[in-house]
Amino acid sequence: MSAATTTIPLLAVRGLRAAYGKIEALKGVDVEINPGEIVALIGANGAGKSTLMMTIFGRPRARAGRIEYDGRDITGAPTHEIARMRIAQSPEGRRIFPRMSVAENLQMGADATETSEAEREAGLERVFALFPRLKERIAQRGGTLSGGEQQMLAIGRALMSRPRLLMLDEPSLGLAPLIAKQIFEAIRTLNRQDGLTVLIVEQNANHALKLANRGYVMVNGLITLAGTGAELLQRPEIRSAYLEGGRH
Amino acid sequence: MSVTPATSSHTSQPLGSAFILKKALISALVALVLFSLMIGIRTEAGNQGGLIYWTRFGDLATMVGVVFGGSIIVELLRQWFGPVETDKVVPKPVRAAMSFVGHWLAPALLAFALFVPVIFYHQRYILDLAILVLTYVMLGWGLNVVVGLAGLLDLGYVAFYAVGAYSYALLATNFGLSFWVCLPLAGILASFWGVLLGFPVLRLRGDYLAIVTLAFGEIIRLVITNWQSLTGGPNGVSGIPRPTLFGIPLDNSDDGLAAKLGIEFSPTHRLVFLFYLILAMALLTNWVTIRLRRLPIGRAWEALREDEVACRALGINTTTTKLTAFATGAMFGGFAGAFFATRQGFISPESFTFQESALVLAIVVLGGMGSQLGVALAALAMIGGFELFRGFDQYRMLVFGMAMVILMIWRPRGLVGHRAPTVYLERSEAISSDLVKEGHG
Repeated sequence: MSAATTTIPLLAVRGLRAAYGKIEALKGVDVEINPGEIVALIGANGAGKSTLMMTIFGRPRARAGRIEYDGRDITGAPTHEIARMRIAQSPEGRRIFPRMSVAENLQMGADATETSEAEREAGLERVFALFPRLKERIAQRGGTLSGGEQQMLAIGRALMSRPRLLMLDEPSLGLAPLIAKQIFEAIRTLNRQDGLTVLIVEQNANHALKLANRGYVMVNGLITLAGTGAELLQRPEIRSAYLEGGRH
Repeated sequence: MSVTPATSSHTSQPLGSAFILKKALISALVALVLFSLMIGIRTEAGNQGGLIYWTRFGDLATMVGVVFGGSIIVELLRQWFGPVETDKVVPKPVRAAMSFVGHWLAPALLAFALFVPVIFYHQRYILDLAILVLTYVMLGWGLNVVVGLAGLLDLGYVAFYAVGAYSYALLATNFGLSFWVCLPLAGILASFWGVLLGFPVLRLRGDYLAIVTLAFGEIIRLVITNWQSLTGGPNGVSGIPRPTLFGIPLDNSDDGLAAKLGIEFSPTHRLVFLFYLILAMALLTNWVTIRLRRLPIGRAWEALREDEVACRALGINTTTTKLTAFATGAMFGGFAGAFFATRQGFISPESFTFQESALVLAIVVLGGMGSQLGVALAALAMIGGFELFRGFDQYRMLVFGMAMVILMIWRPRGLVGHRAPTVYLERSEAISSDLVKEGHG
């Protein structure tokens, strides 16, 4: 927590409210992410975790509050412009392009941002170093990959825009534990080696909190708890609600 | 053989020749039972009101034989060209021949197209038909950008065809502008209307988009029909000038092309010229589409077809991406329209009904969305085949309906359902064994 008070956060969300029609999904959320941190956002189904991520990305629009990225106010900016500010997102459900090849999927990640040919090459090398399996599948159609490979592709595609902040929505969703572990390992590597700042939204609280420097717990559109990953893992209410199958 | 072992033992079993024979025998038996009364015995009321009958066992045998043979052919075709998922019992030489054909079909077709006017110089009907086919090839390729690549179902494509045709017709008859000046103008106007259609439908997808584009096509046609002072309404525009070869008219006047070259004038010259004109325009459409597919914008179109949300998350401006797809597709439609107007010399709203949109869409879907070769083949089959079956008269539509249903069952992705990737690794990199090993966790 000491780092949070001295440095300017890379992403600061203040009093953010968002709604789908009349249903309020975010009821005044405050989140800060400092450069070089891994921050985990955990919570039950329907708590508003994904909505928070999507609202940061401009869709749905924020009803109130403020989103600052790198000191700039990005509240209400169009999604594609936010994506070009080197914030990358691996959306929920992976959403790779099924009929396009792995290579084309990766190129899509670099298309919108102004990347030179050399940068693209370097980006591809980085992704392949991180996920060698993608290199084997380079000409294969995205839809024919396994779930884990698709997740690797989704993260790889997000990395192609050379992001400063990577936001991952449920990267372990529907993956075998071993594959999920590989994915988390890759995220750790990215953070340690390249100093990439990561916001990770997870239901798998145990994994996410072990990986993260800090964590936020979200319940019904509000942040109810915040602390370091280790602290949160020790909290009895977290243990009972998210780590032990919801036993009372 | 990508099926799992459990299912393949089931599916590969009944695909042998014994299975085909058995199936054909059963079909023949059913035919025998059905036809023995329907065809084998013929009854009629006699002169005295009594029933007389006679047998036609020869006809019956023919029918049963046709069913038997046809069933074998159908089954073989089903197994050779059937859905991609099923195991195929295609013999090796046939498979090799098919891949050979697949590789050389496009160049062969192109070479053939180049020589059509030479081969069929004296058959005016075939030349006319070839021009018509090429017009639809071009329309199909144009619509392919919108439907096949960007995945935006457009049922009103004929609107842009009409805009292009009327642009040329009105500019040429009112202001005396030449075809070559009007051609780009027709394309620009059509793509302007494409953007205009694009704006209101930006948020729509699938069925909703289809309905709005359908309405758009009808609106354009109705405006043309009713705006009498400008378009001549139902009477159309006549006396549209013929195209010239860089200012040299193709007629039998003194400064016509024939006179300048010192050869005898023949009306076929103009047909040949029109043929090469539409061939060049269609090839231009094809070339531009292929080039665009390799650029980020083309990739963005395809990605948009796959997943709009993911596109936005990657920083793709979906608004401009959709609008450029509409504009590009419409532009080619406009070019084709201008060509249509100059070929016909007369246009009226009747040429731009919904049926045209449906026909072009059918060509794209049958050809395989996004496949350039498939669209060309489908246009050839649809337009050429339609003429071929002219003898069937009113059964023609029935034959076509059936052919389309069968094709969609067997090849739901169209004639050429294969999509070639546009990104390749520049170097053919050998993957070292330690990398490969790592992946199999």
